Amino acid sequence: MAKKSTTIALTASAVIAAFTTGVALAQAARDYIYIVGSSTVYPFSTVVAERFGRGSDFKTPKVESTGSGGGLKLFCDGVGVGYPDIANSSRAIKQSEIDACAGNGVSEIVEVKIGYDGIVVANAAGGIDMDLSRRVIFLALAKEVPGGAEGTLVANPYSTWRDVDPSLPNQKIEVLGPPPTSGTRDAFVELAMEGGCSTIPWIKALKSSDENRYKGVCHTIREDGAFIEAGENDNLIVQKLESNPNAFGIFAFSFLDQNGDKVKGAPVDGVTPTFESIADGSYPVSRPLYFYVKKAHVDVIPGLRQFLREFTSERAWGEEGYLSDRGLIPMPEDERSDVAGAVRDLTPISGAR
Amino acid sequence: MAALRGTTRHAADRNKMALTTIVLILTGLAVAGYLAGARRAYASVGGPSNLRRLHSLPGYHGFFVAICCLLPALLVLLLWVVVEPRAVVVLVTQGLPEAARGLSEGELNLLINNIRNLAAGDVVSGQVDAMLTDAALRYTELSRLGRTLSAVLVFGIAVLGAVLAWRRIGTDFRARHKVESVVTGLLVAASSIAILTTIGIVASVLFEAIRFFREVPLTEFLFGLNWSPQTAIRADQVGSSGSFGAVPLFAGTLLITAIAMAVAAPVGLMTAIYLSEYAPPRVRDVAKPLLEVLAGIPTVVYGFFAALTVAPVIRSAGEAMGLAVASESALAAGLVMGIMIIPLVSSLSDDAIKAVPRAMRDGALGLGSTRSEAMLHVILPAALPGIVGGILLAVSRAIGETMIVVMAAGLAANLTANPFEAVTTVTVQIVTLLVGDQEFDSAKTLAAFALGLVLFVVTLCLNVLGLQFVRKYREQYE
Amino acid sequence: MKGAEARKETRRKVEQSLGRRRRKELSFRILGVGATALGVTFLLVFFASLIAQGASAFMQTYVSLDVEFSREHLVPDGEPDLQFGDFDALVRGALRAQFPDVTGRSERRELARLVSVGAAYQLRDALADKPELLGTRLAVFLPASSEVDMLFKGKIDRSLPEEQRRISDLQLEWTDRLVAEGRLERRFNRALFTNGDSREPELAGIRGALMGSFYMLLATILISFPIGTAAAVYLEEFAPRNRWSDLVEVNINNLAAVPSIVFGLLGLAVFINWAAIPRSSPLVGGLVLSLLTLPVIIIASRAAIKAVPPSIREAALGLGASKMQVVSHHVLPLALPGMLTGAIIGMSRALGESAPLLMIGMVAFIVDIPAGFTDPATALPVQIYLWADSPERAFAERTSAAIIVLLGFLLAMNLAAVIMRKRVERQW
Repeated sequence: MAKKSTTIALTASAVIAAFTTGVALAQAARDYIYIVGSSTVYPFSTVVAERFGRGSDFKTPKVESTGSGGGLKLFCDGVGVGYPDIANSSRAIKQSEIDACAGNGVSEIVEVKIGYDGIVVANAAGGIDMDLSRRVIFLALAKEVPGGAEGTLVANPYSTWRDVDPSLPNQKIEVLGPPPTSGTRDAFVELAMEGGCSTIPWIKALKSSDENRYKGVCHTIREDGAFIEAGENDNLIVQKLESNPNAFGIFAFSFLDQNGDKVKGAPVDGVTPTFESIADGSYPVSRPLYFYVKKAHVDVIPGLRQFLREFTSERAWGEEGYLSDRGLIPMPEDERSDVAGAVRDLTPISGAR
Repeated sequence: MAALRGTTRHAADRNKMALTTIVLILTGLAVAGYLAGARRAYASVGGPSNLRRLHSLPGYHGFFVAICCLLPALLVLLLWVVVEPRAVVVLVTQGLPEAARGLSEGELNLLINNIRNLAAGDVVSGQVDAMLTDAALRYTELSRLGRTLSAVLVFGIAVLGAVLAWRRIGTDFRARHKVESVVTGLLVAASSIAILTTIGIVASVLFEAIRFFREVPLTEFLFGLNWSPQTAIRADQVGSSGSFGAVPLFAGTLLITAIAMAVAAPVGLMTAIYLSEYAPPRVRDVAKPLLEVLAGIPTVVYGFFAALTVAPVIRSAGEAMGLAVASESALAAGLVMGIMIIPLVSSLSDDAIKAVPRAMRDGALGLGSTRSEAMLHVILPAALPGIVGGILLAVSRAIGETMIVVMAAGLAANLTANPFEAVTTVTVQIVTLLVGDQEFDSAKTLAAFALGLVLFVVTLCLNVLGLQFVRKYREQYE
Repeated sequence: MKGAEARKETRRKVEQSLGRRRRKELSFRILGVGATALGVTFLLVFFASLIAQGASAFMQTYVSLDVEFSREHLVPDGEPDLQFGDFDALVRGALRAQFPDVTGRSERRELARLVSVGAAYQLRDALADKPELLGTRLAVFLPASSEVDMLFKGKIDRSLPEEQRRISDLQLEWTDRLVAEGRLERRFNRALFTNGDSREPELAGIRGALMGSFYMLLATILISFPIGTAAAVYLEEFAPRNRWSDLVEVNINNLAAVPSIVFGLLGLAVFINWAAIPRSSPLVGGLVLSLLTLPVIIIASRAAIKAVPPSIREAALGLGASKMQVVSHHVLPLALPGMLTGAIIGMSRALGESAPLLMIGMVAFIVDIPAGFTDPATALPVQIYLWADSPERAFAERTSAAIIVLLGFLLAMNLAAVIMRKRVERQW
């Protein structure tokens, strides 16, 4: 009989397996807040979630890092306990996403702008100092740059920084940055590249005559190896910069803030990226961060209203709040109070924008 | 409210507990059924001395009873578990006032959630009014009723099944056949799960891939030489059109796989040979499990190792020799991936080598060949199908590996065969495209599904070929 | 005599070639040793560097402070209140008592940052345990903030200019004073094993991820081992050689090659969207991982069954055993060690897998420790991935520490299996 033990064991475990599946199907109630979305907002959202969970009777919210697009898709899939209450986003919600939401019964969405995030161009602390301008950034990184006669473009011929601007050192252009699927890349292209691009008069003129061409020229990054798409892990970029002092990296300000001993931010248009320079707007490359709340879930999911109050409180997102310790650049005071008011009244964004 | 909390705290936990109890009791019933069946079988022939008159051994009769007791009861229980919560919700909803029943599905769902939370004694959001309290009490009551009912039903069926089976037991009853056919059925079911999985994968990838191919022609995707998904993230932003020619991705994947296999195949095979042929038992006992640990190191960790330790070393070594090495060279990712795959190759080759009949090896040694000659000319050829199978598995593993290349190989889609340049792979692109910030239904995200589909088809072809090979040669040696 | 000549000639040739053959043998053997040594050396180097990086995370710096559980802060309206009591004020008060010369609002804020925000929760829990502490004064060890911790462990270079450090000159001076008074102490970092995830490095622990991985692996092994071995037995022993079994076989080999991230897509579509199993639950993870490990287990189990010599089957069949009896009485017990090897490889792959979990919502910040198959959870490798991506410096060593723990579990699993395998292994 002992030899049958294998058979018995097998059958028994099969039965247990089938059973666990069954148990799962018995839906449980949800008593925690469910947040999804951007990996850029994740470090801020989680800090608030943790403080909220520790400081109140409610459970700690679950924060998933899915990327803005994936998060908003989950968010817009419907109303109910199976769907997220909040979607974090490193860009504003798109009209098509609002439409998708409405199509699934998510009609009232409250937009909450939480602050700004600087995007820095940095190199290893031991590397050379370089004063960049948006124009230099554009010329060094664009796929095609003006060359020869006015109005013509050539494939980017520059291989060293000196080629771009004689005042810069003779060093190979090597920049690690986010991939085109990233909101950070999108913001960088729009603020730094386009900003530099529009300093060239004839391209600026294109904007009114042929906008598609204008954006095509200004927004396309070279693909010949000088710009290296290095993934979204900013820590990895910092460490790669440390081991390669010739390279520059493009990443979020909070990583520069934490790694001041390893990397240094290059000044752009003469302004060094610091907390203050980004907050007062003098540093040109920064973008707003958002999250979106489903109004239908407020007062139904336990703690959601209280969580919103915590997030929009001065001790969280204020000038000296705990989020600023983590590198989130606060909005000006009047803007904060406007947004906080809108959150208190749960003013949804209008259907068309 | 307070009273409610007191009486219904952790109703959900109780539900789980009740289920466990039911299963435990069922198991007990099955064991009892087994014993009773076996005893009846003994009794039907009048004791152990006449055991030969039985068609099947008593144990099989016991198993027959146990199966009849357990299987139907478990199926019913499973069904109950699936249906009950929904039924309770419907019943509770019917008890709600008119206004609440008119809510949309989503809102109703939220209301029910609130009732459940209240019934479980958890934190509730918003105002607790009489309607909610009533509904929660009703919910608790119904759940309790459901538990009792399910227990009665399930045990009834179990006992009934056991008794019916028990009564059929006799000298001529072919219990073994019955039990064996049930077991065979289970085996067939288990083996067809692979098919179901494949269908599931194809179904979950295909639709999105088709949507992608509506936007980007299949030929451009498969044969295009330029991969640059620099499309706009927002609608108001026109930007570049982006191109989706996947050839550079395929080339990059192959390059990295080739490097990995150049490391893993010889090292893995030699390791297997050494461990099975030369190594003293003590070395073998230590080395084999140690190598298996290599396979278990999370690929995330390998990725960090490749990106931060191996890549800079290769870069500086290359620069010392006057070579231009990208900071994210294919070589770094490939080497580390190769190390990761060593145990896979060695473990499977080891099995294949051990499966060669000992007589063949002894024969070769007896004819005076050295151990290496016996290995190279006799054992390896005989074990080749298994080894090739293992290497193919390793190749597939290398093609599908994600995290190492995400960290170490970068995203630059260069079409090159130079291992010092940066390349990207299909899996890296799948991850980047899927977790990006762009709109989910854009061509960029959908491209990930198309890539997944291609990967699936390619590995399928590879495996059909491999299987043909293995089959052709295995027959010679069996 | 020609035969003798020929034999001599053969003998001469053999002896001539012997040296070459022996050298070949030796070099072959050296190759084998080298290959094995390469793998093992890599492993050892790898472990050594990990331990060098992560060992310090098992210790945490604590500050000894005299805390007064003052009624003023803890009894806001007549009754001691754990929720609304201002425990932060107790910590601040203790710090001010320690450094009475610090005045000025911003300086006091900096001072407060020497101690972790978790200190207040620790005091709250202490009071909850012992209500009689109210109104007393007590020397307590409170966790230092991660910056002080890093400084004390020598991971912050104090020679750098102030703006490049995460710790200011003033904080540096206060820390030195605490060190001089012997109030800083390194202790075993219990939080690492008892806490869930946290955004404060000094409070972050792997318990949640560990339990998540545990439930996930439990589900995986319960599902995939029985199904995998059953499928292997069927394919190897019972399946007729026809198109269907060919199809199954191709399928299984193919599934072993499908990238794990595609299994994530499957899990998302089938288990979450269709079967409505809660997102981020260990059950979904376990289901996905069991599909992922199934081919590995099936392939290894088949190899193990194949390795059982046919003579054993024939002998049993000859004695009148049924096919099923042959399998369950003889083949299975003999093939079990090989099957276990397969299961270990499968499980270790499952334990380290993170790519498919990306798709099913496990890349999440979850503080509460999961207590079942359906609670939201994360897994150890995903936790490593998340920590590795955290900006705070102190997470770097904790990432290594989490990896060490993960590898520790792997080693333990392997060791158990090796012992088990040792008992039944034999060569035919």
